[in-house]
Amino acid sequence: MDLSYLPQIALSGIGIGCIYGLIGIGFCVIYNASGIVNFAQGAFVMLGGMITHTMLHRYGVPMIASAAIAIAAVSLAGIVIERVVVRPLWNRNATMFVMILATLAAQIVIERSTLIVAGDQPRTLPAFTDLPPMMLGGLAVSYQFLWIVAASLATVAALALFFKTTLVGKAMRACAINREAAALQGIPVSRMLALSFALSAALGAIAGILITPTQYTAFNVGVPFAINGFIAAIVGGFGRPLGAFVGGIMLGLAQAIAIVVFGAGFKNVAALSVLLLFLFVRPSGIFGSAK
Amino acid sequence: MTKSPTITFPDMTRRGLGALPWIAAAGVLAYAFFVGGYLTTVMSFALIYVVFVTGLNVFMGYAGQVSFGHNAFAALSGYTSAYLTTSHGFAPLPAFGAGLALALSCALIVGYPTLRLKGHYLAMATLAIGLIVYEVAVEWTSVTQGYMGISGIPPIGIAGYEITSERGQLAFLTVIVALATLVSWRIRESRFGRALSAVAGSEDAARALGISASRYKLSAFLASAAFAALAGSLFVHVVGFVSPEVYGLHMVVLAFTMLYVGGIGTIAGPFVGAVIISLLPEMFRQFKDYQDLAYGAALILLLIYAPRGLSTISSLFRRAAAKKAVVS
Amino acid sequence: MSLLELQNVTQRFGGLVAVDDVSATIAQGGVTAVIGPNGAGKTTLFNAISGFRTPSAGRVVFGGVDITGMAPERIAAIGLVRTFQLVQLFGELTAMENVKVGCHLHTRGDLLAAILRSPATRRSERQVEDDARKLLDFVGLTDVADVAASSLPYGQQRLLEIARALAAQPKLLLLDEPAAGLNSGETARLSATIREIAARGTTVLLIEHDMKLVMSTADRVIVLDFGRKIAEGTPDEVRDNPAVIAAYLGMPEGAA
Ligand SMILES: Nc1ncnc2c1ncn2[C@@H]1O[C@H](COP(=O)(O)OP(=O)(O)OP(=O)(O)O)[C@@H](O)[C@H]1O
Ligand SMILES: [Mg+2]
Repeated sequence: MDLSYLPQIALSGIGIGCIYGLIGIGFCVIYNASGIVNFAQGAFVMLGGMITHTMLHRYGVPMIASAAIAIAAVSLAGIVIERVVVRPLWNRNATMFVMILATLAAQIVIERSTLIVAGDQPRTLPAFTDLPPMMLGGLAVSYQFLWIVAASLATVAALALFFKTTLVGKAMRACAINREAAALQGIPVSRMLALSFALSAALGAIAGILITPTQYTAFNVGVPFAINGFIAAIVGGFGRPLGAFVGGIMLGLAQAIAIVVFGAGFKNVAALSVLLLFLFVRPSGIFGSAK
Repeated sequence: MTKSPTITFPDMTRRGLGALPWIAAAGVLAYAFFVGGYLTTVMSFALIYVVFVTGLNVFMGYAGQVSFGHNAFAALSGYTSAYLTTSHGFAPLPAFGAGLALALSCALIVGYPTLRLKGHYLAMATLAIGLIVYEVAVEWTSVTQGYMGISGIPPIGIAGYEITSERGQLAFLTVIVALATLVSWRIRESRFGRALSAVAGSEDAARALGISASRYKLSAFLASAAFAALAGSLFVHVVGFVSPEVYGLHMVVLAFTMLYVGGIGTIAGPFVGAVIISLLPEMFRQFKDYQDLAYGAALILLLIYAPRGLSTISSLFRRAAAKKAVVS
Repeated sequence: MSLLELQNVTQRFGGLVAVDDVSATIAQGGVTAVIGPNGAGKTTLFNAISGFRTPSAGRVVFGGVDITGMAPERIAAIGLVRTFQLVQLFGELTAMENVKVGCHLHTRGDLLAAILRSPATRRSERQVEDDARKLLDFVGLTDVADVAASSLPYGQQRLLEIARALAAQPKLLLLDEPAAGLNSGETARLSATIREIAARGTTVLLIEHDMKLVMSTADRVIVLDFGRKIAEGTPDEVRDNPAVIAAYLGMPEGAA
């Protein structure tokens, strides 16, 4: 192995880690509002990239507008999943397992529909800023990396502001602390559920749009992203959005190191092993779980 | 105290209805056997899945646990069978023995820490186990040959007799499935099975009655892993080829759909569900592309509107009768 | 001879002391009631005794064996079986099957026995069937033997839980508010059933709010308040104890 690549690879680890972090936050937002773990989270990431690509290339919509349309459309998809799949089960007091299975099935439905509509060719998006990477010391820093980090941090900050200052955000936090008490206070808990799906779908879409220029998107990229996002959430202590973001970056770094040490093929095995390790030894994550 | 008459009327009807799914599925099987050809192949797949789903049913239906990762044990055993028979000249039976031993050892090692988890932690840990095995199957090319897979695996055979005809294989698989179903039925009607139902119903109450929840969960996990291992090895010998995709996540989703269509926790469920789900794409051949889409959508609808599946029609009757008895 | 001995049992939850230095001796035979206002720590004490929660301090000795912190299933195996304040039945199983599960401890055979189903196994199954039927008869649930536990009315669920616990043939039976949710007729029957259980040789320790039931059923009464044992004695003694009256009227002890 060649250790001189390490800083460069670590840098890309941080980039992808931000993406995992955003997805992880998506898990937390829904979990906090409802206690549900939404396994269709990866579909949002995939749809974000795919819809942006379609807007951009099929309809010639400018990039920034394509991205905005994609985020809006994916949020809508989140609400649809909540209405069509989650709400009926929720009303029937379905078990946690049934809920997980149903959202996983929703993931597959979205994935296969995308395959039928858009085909199976991988697509990619142009880098947001089309310039050669900056050289900092021996390190090549691509502009897309900067976009990813900056946009992720901005998203996290906006989200934190939303939860801290807006009435709706505060209501959602109240649900996270105690749903029954929140309901007694007159907070429409079920509307919060729909909102949490929209919000976490938007997070997934943002993640998908940011990452696609550095790799590709296709109908089947969702599940791996969802799993890594889930790992990020576990590492950060399930239900803690900020923890999930930090967890995502740590996971990205761990994967980067695994690539250097074991080769690129085993990066998923490494991530999954991190997951098992945490589940077995410290299921509450590094910061302790939210509940 | 409510005095209630003993239930007499629906008994006969109930039996009849209860046998209906069995008869229909067995009829299809017999038909396939006599017609031969492509339907035989389809039914062979279905029967292999019956074995897999029967195991899953013991762990999930009887013991009330969750596993998204039993494909791992099918893969471990299947790959062991494929590797030992093609590269080391093993006969299928000893190769399966090795595969089963490997699958059970792994199940024991991961089972202990995994089964202490609950809810989405348990779901995710088992999912991770399945995915790790999948990734290793893809990456460990010197043994598994990666995506290319291993081909030229010999058919099932015992002591020099190979079962090569499709009908012969179907007959053999029918015997295996009959045995698997018998085992599942005997488990259900035993002290062991009751202990599993107790753990499923309330771990606290089970423990208060002296049932070690952790031990029974592990036993059920191992038993179901053995079924999965058997299915995994049967697959490679029947098809003659194995690749990582065989044991991918879609295996899990397919098995869940079968389990829910047939009726989770019932004895007939795996058989009925696997036959129905295997036949559906054949009936709608022109919609081949929509297959997984249809499975996913069907699963969602089932979970919402018929979480007890099709082979529970009879117990719906029982419930209705019971309610009446209690009210009167 | 003492069957159960509590030595300075204490259970803390953070700053809250739910059970505070409780010592008591339960003799073999008879019915002992644990009473006290809501939140006095009765259920918490039961959890500490039955192994569902390891006490923060103190020891629990059962039949001469120190069972402090032992797993619930092992405590059950040596003859201490409990029921729950919120009924915990196996809802999908029938009443009959629920009681059969209770027979687990005094039967044998696991996966292999299930698959082989030898004549010995069949014989033992028939025995279990008989035992379960007798117990259902004992609590008056014969008619609903084949009804799913979850569709039974609440009063019958309570009785079923007792029958299931009895199937384990305990030396000591812990009942957590067995009369909660029963009407007065059912409560009277329950009182007779508990006396009968004791008469057949099973020692009973029960938590109860219904004073009429306590007075008519218990031989001895232990009173908890704010986690502490404030009185112990016969029902009559306890009823006239000023500290107990104060606790139930919600006044500070000294003011009574
Ligand atoms: N797991 C726990 N964590 C924190 N506090 C607890 C826990 N269990 C019980 N408590 C507290 O301990 C105290 C005693 O509760 P416990 O349930 O033992 O009372 P109880 O006497 O059984 O009351 P009740 O008659 O209402 O059943 C209460 O203040 C309760 O809130
Ligand atoms: Mg209590």
